[in-house]
Amino acid sequence: MQDFLAGNVALQNTLATMEVERRKVAAEQKRGIIYIGIGIGVCIVGLLLGLLFWAVLAGLIPVIYGIIVLVKIREATKAYERAYKQNVIGEALKFIDPNLTINPLDGISSDEFSYAQLFNKQIDRYKTEDLVSGKIDKTSFYFAEVHAEYKTERETKDGTKTSWIDIFRGIVFVADFNKHLSGVTIVKPKDLVNTVGSWFSKNIFSFSDQHVIQLENPAFDRTFVTYGTHQIESRYVLTPAMMERILYLNANALQSISLSFIESKMYIAFPLDRNYFEAPIFESLLNPVSLNTDINTIRFLCDIVKELDLNTRIWGKE
Amino acid sequence: MIIVLVILIALFLFGIFFYNGLIGKKNQVTNAFSAIDVMLKKRFDLIPNLVEVVKQYTTYEQETLTKIVALRTKATAGNISEAEKATLDAQLSSSVNGLMVNVENYPDLKANTNFINLQTTWTESEEQIAAARRTYNSAVTSYNNSIMMFPGSIFAGMLNFHPIAVLATAEEERKNISAKDLFNN
Repeated sequence: MQDFLAGNVALQNTLATMEVERRKVAAEQKRGIIYIGIGIGVCIVGLLLGLLFWAVLAGLIPVIYGIIVLVKIREATKAYERAYKQNVIGEALKFIDPNLTINPLDGISSDEFSYAQLFNKQIDRYKTEDLVSGKIDKTSFYFAEVHAEYKTERETKDGTKTSWIDIFRGIVFVADFNKHLSGVTIVKPKDLVNTVGSWFSKNIFSFSDQHVIQLENPAFDRTFVTYGTHQIESRYVLTPAMMERILYLNANALQSISLSFIESKMYIAFPLDRNYFEAPIFESLLNPVSLNTDINTIRFLCDIVKELDLNTRIWGKE
Repeated sequence: MIIVLVILIALFLFGIFFYNGLIGKKNQVTNAFSAIDVMLKKRFDLIPNLVEVVKQYTTYEQETLTKIVALRTKATAGNISEAEKATLDAQLSSSVNGLMVNVENYPDLKANTNFINLQTTWTESEEQIAAARRTYNSAVTSYNNSIMMFPGSIFAGMLNFHPIAVLATAEEERKNISAKDLFNN
């Protein structure tokens, strides 16, 4: 059993109560899916036997019944998912740190996401949920799931074809930074686009007021491209110790992270490919594998405050 | 004939780009250097207040305070070279940092709000100066690379551009900190 559950009777009881609800939802969903499956099966068999009308008629009845079952359980499923986030994730958060809270319906606004300047593309569709906020020592922080996309339109003979492409999908972490800042510093992973862009703005022409900041840590410069409005301030933010800490954080993240430091805040984008903090339906809550992964993710995010030494307040900012 | 003309125009354009690029980089070096100067001045301005506050609470640090005031006066005199200023700043830093360690002996001073403010401003200025120095060194490296790498190296000599030395850590700062030395002061 996972360590966070071992000594936590309240959470164990919550999980046991919710397990009953989960089984109910799972059984109904399974029933609905089975009926739909049977209906489709009957249809196929009937069609193979050449009984077109009877096949469709006999197949349609279980399919409709299955859909009704799924529609009827939808409200209960939603209530179960909401309760899971509030009670299970909420309780597990308290175990990590008593100051942590979750608000499943809230998130990081698209305005704030754009303001962080972590990605250049214009957003066309934006979703956010599961806002977790807290304060460790002097540093307040919050993070949420974000899915930002842009659309491309292509003219085909059947009309305009729209496809959605991810700008970012993952968790955005925002923390109060421990130094006063007046400019912008952005750290992006060194991919082909960023490498070519940075070379161009350094050697030919820079289209914005942000310049490439050439830092003296070779490992950092190999991993990231850094842009900033003030050369000195960017180095004031990215001290040799800070660069090492960011490299360590990046090495422990699943995919390359992006960071920005604007005014008094730091933003970190962690790309992830699964939806976090979601209630499992076909997996027992008594041995919660996905909850364990979620808890580890939250722990990792809360540890950023310590890893980046954000609680050291010796630079005149309380 | 046309080929020769095209080559000449290309060479001429390359010359303009190269020259302007070098001037830009040299200006960045000058700019970065003056930024260090501004920050050093900001730090020197903290000294009188710091000395005043410390004086009120301590009786045994007179010698250090006198030394700090003397160093500050020298550093802000105006008729000293940049190299001398950097050396004085390093000495001043080490004296003030030594003083900060000795503050542990004076609980009243340690708790004084003015002193705490001065201490954080001092730490902030140290990191800002470090950042300004790193910016200067980065600007110098970029300029030096342009004039020392081929084909820039051919034209740089003709146009009278010379490499600039990067700022090295002051001898005093490079020394390993010895706890013994600190506490025997």
